[in-house]
Amino acid sequence: MSAPATPLRWVGLAAWLAPLVVFAVGPVVFLLARGLGAAGALEGLAAETGALVNTLAISTGAAALALVLGAPLALLLFRTDLPLRGAYAVLFTLPSAIPAFIWGMGWLSLASPRAGYLNRLLGEGTLDIHGPVGIAFVEGVSGLPLVLLAGGAAMRRVDPALEEAARVCGASPARALLTTTLPLALPSLSSGAVMVFLMAASSFGVPYLLGVSASPPTRVLTTRIYELVLRADEGLGRASALALGLLLLTPVALLATWALGRSGRVRLSAGKGLASRPFALGRGRAVAGAAVALGCAVLVLLPLGALVLTSLQRGFGARLAWGELTLAHWSGVLWAPRTLRATGLSLLLATGAGALVCALGLGAALLQRAFRRLGAGVEALAVWPYAVPGTVLALALLVAFSRDWRFILLERVAFVLALAHTPWLLLVAYAGKYLALGTRNGAEALAQLDPSLAEAARVSGAGPTRAFRDATLPLLRPALLAAFVLTFLACATEITMSVLLVPAGSEVLGKLLFDLQSYADPAAAAVLACAFVALVAVGQGVLALLGRRAAEAR
Amino acid sequence: MAAISLEGLFKSYGATQVVRGLSLDVREGELVSLLGPSGCGKTTTLRMLAGLEHPDAGVIRIGGETVAGPGVRVPPEKRGLGMVFQSYAVWPHRTVEQNVAYPLTLRRLPKAEVATRVREALRWVRLEGLASRRPHELSGGQLQRVALARALVAGPRVLLLDEPLSNLDAALREELRAEIAALRARLGTTMVFVTHDQGEALALSDRIAVLNRGVIEQVDTPEVLYHEPATPFVAGFVGGANVLEGEVRDGAFLTPGGTRFPLPPECRASDGPSTLVVRPEDLDLGEHGTPLPLSARLFLGHAAEYRFPVDGTLLRVVGPPREARASQILHVQLRKARLFHRG
Repeated sequence: MSAPATPLRWVGLAAWLAPLVVFAVGPVVFLLARGLGAAGALEGLAAETGALVNTLAISTGAAALALVLGAPLALLLFRTDLPLRGAYAVLFTLPSAIPAFIWGMGWLSLASPRAGYLNRLLGEGTLDIHGPVGIAFVEGVSGLPLVLLAGGAAMRRVDPALEEAARVCGASPARALLTTTLPLALPSLSSGAVMVFLMAASSFGVPYLLGVSASPPTRVLTTRIYELVLRADEGLGRASALALGLLLLTPVALLATWALGRSGRVRLSAGKGLASRPFALGRGRAVAGAAVALGCAVLVLLPLGALVLTSLQRGFGARLAWGELTLAHWSGVLWAPRTLRATGLSLLLATGAGALVCALGLGAALLQRAFRRLGAGVEALAVWPYAVPGTVLALALLVAFSRDWRFILLERVAFVLALAHTPWLLLVAYAGKYLALGTRNGAEALAQLDPSLAEAARVSGAGPTRAFRDATLPLLRPALLAAFVLTFLACATEITMSVLLVPAGSEVLGKLLFDLQSYADPAAAAVLACAFVALVAVGQGVLALLGRRAAEAR
Repeated sequence: MAAISLEGLFKSYGATQVVRGLSLDVREGELVSLLGPSGCGKTTTLRMLAGLEHPDAGVIRIGGETVAGPGVRVPPEKRGLGMVFQSYAVWPHRTVEQNVAYPLTLRRLPKAEVATRVREALRWVRLEGLASRRPHELSGGQLQRVALARALVAGPRVLLLDEPLSNLDAALREELRAEIAALRARLGTTMVFVTHDQGEALALSDRIAVLNRGVIEQVDTPEVLYHEPATPFVAGFVGGANVLEGEVRDGAFLTPGGTRFPLPPECRASDGPSTLVVRPEDLDLGEHGTPLPLSARLFLGHAAEYRFPVDGTLLRVVGPPREARASQILHVQLRKARLFHRG
């Protein structure tokens, strides 16, 4: 409640805004201006209609798939007595926790036309993961958790009395579920699907993997931008025009989410929501259980298993037999100096980005509280880069910092910002992109904190800084730690921005995985992908532990 | 221990004036309650006293020292107060002992002394055995005791209590109320107690300040307040009295709707528009008086409450339980009442 003294607030705001404007807002605005101003921007965009149409079609398909799979699955997992539903709820978060690129690799191992394991079982050429349908499928499945989480949260918030009222009116349990809970959760489910659309539209790795090398190739906006950037100068103008098109999808989709969220919120109970009793599936329980088990096996476990198998095979496409399996790739990849160097840099950058995200996110949360009205603007500014497709953000940084910025004071060079071709640009990109994690976590934790906790410290004799350190900060720590881990994982496994921004001569894990898969050696890539999965699993375990500890302390 | 003086305090949030020219003196060692409905400005007043809010105008003095006023703004940590919050505000990341020790650590007292004083404070609130517990292991009543110990441990000049009992259930409230009274008797600390519960205020306070819409309507001892309310609002809020608007004519009170109550002899008043204030227990049901149709009868155990519609409100009468049906006509007679002339 007690806002810091006025001048301090403004100093804080300036200190917070400066890096955000210089490193995120400025470059993207600059890129937009360039895209708009480039000669023949519109013609350039028109020449890429195919990529635009592909992007829209693939993203729509992915969103539809995620919704169609996610809605019934959310009902089954969160509102019925499905066997093992707790375990499924965890397993079905994996598709989003592990980078989509890795799922694409898994499906490539399973369903590439000739050597894919499924095609070897079913007959050569039965399935082909290449092309728009395959891309939409992989993106849709990897977005499934977004729909599940949104729907699950809504279903928990729906007042059980609404369902009970339907029962008292004469509806059977199944009917009550389908006519009250499902429609009430539908806005949230749909807003999850809109997020899937956005995620698919800004995805780079999967369309590159399954689209560019296919015949005929499928090109989307992100992969076109990448190809244009590789052509360097002449391509940058056209890439900027494409980025403009891609960027325009974001506000439209966010507006849709907002509208859906608003219409959905009205009817949900604000209270803590007494959990309504799960609907008993009865005789259908076994059937539903088998269906979900099969879905989980096919969508989650199968691609991961295929990756492991690929990593153990002498060569992709070799005969499948126990004797043919080898650990050679594992030792070859994991201890290669190239891998170790990339790991070192990735961990360093991920740690730095995590720390920056926590600090700036905490700052954003505090500013939101200090400036009530302006606070919404601060949050929007902090969350906004998250919605900017990674390809666009990376391109913007690339363009903005392609030459050194000299800040001249008193006719002397006071400060040179030379970020081009340095890992610093990656740090900037990572921290900017994932700032939303720190802001959201920090703001949520701060909002839950009763202001009287800090006031009690003040009355006890602590100054404002001391009260913050002693009473507020320790209680925000779990949320900030969670934001750190999330950011760390996202950055350590980031691919889209890394492939564009990694300076020549150095390497990070995401770029290494991309290169191994694209140009060299699928088996080696599979090893690295398995290591990514292990890293994500450890990180998610840490998060779960943090969550449990926070719940216990409450 | 210190005296407090509030002089002409004003405070607004945006366009809403929450406190409008409030003045109050609290003597050394006194317990004064700020009593009023929610939104009357009592909590805001307490927060200004604590230094958590700054008055728009007016002066606050604690122990003779000006802590808030034109050009003066002593921050809360420099005011030497203790405060107990409605939400307890016990820090969940510290043990009971660490919570209570916090004000002493800030004062850089030697470790041994901190330990002794914490132990003593925990004994005051009867939590000796729970020193190493974590807050989430405690009940609401125990948490509020921790808050009380923490507020008292450093020997504050004034103890501020912001609805400390309202989150507790009835039995605990009673118990903790007694404990606050006992602590006060033992320590003699000046206390300012914010509450919306008249029973709490009447039981604990030396004096009560009744607040309504940002101003004090009356400051008096509980007895005076109860028996001689200065305004209809105080009478209605503190005694739960019936408040009727109307006029006095020929020794009787007439409501605009035409109901006529003959006034008891000692309640003489000149004719004119008035407000009639009468407690439910000061009305008799019998053979004489104003005939009114009964709308409801509520059995209270030791007595019963009878409700009669009068001009759109309900007149409440408390008397011995007796048989009565709804819409039966009963006779209501004023035994004791107060009249406030409206000018």
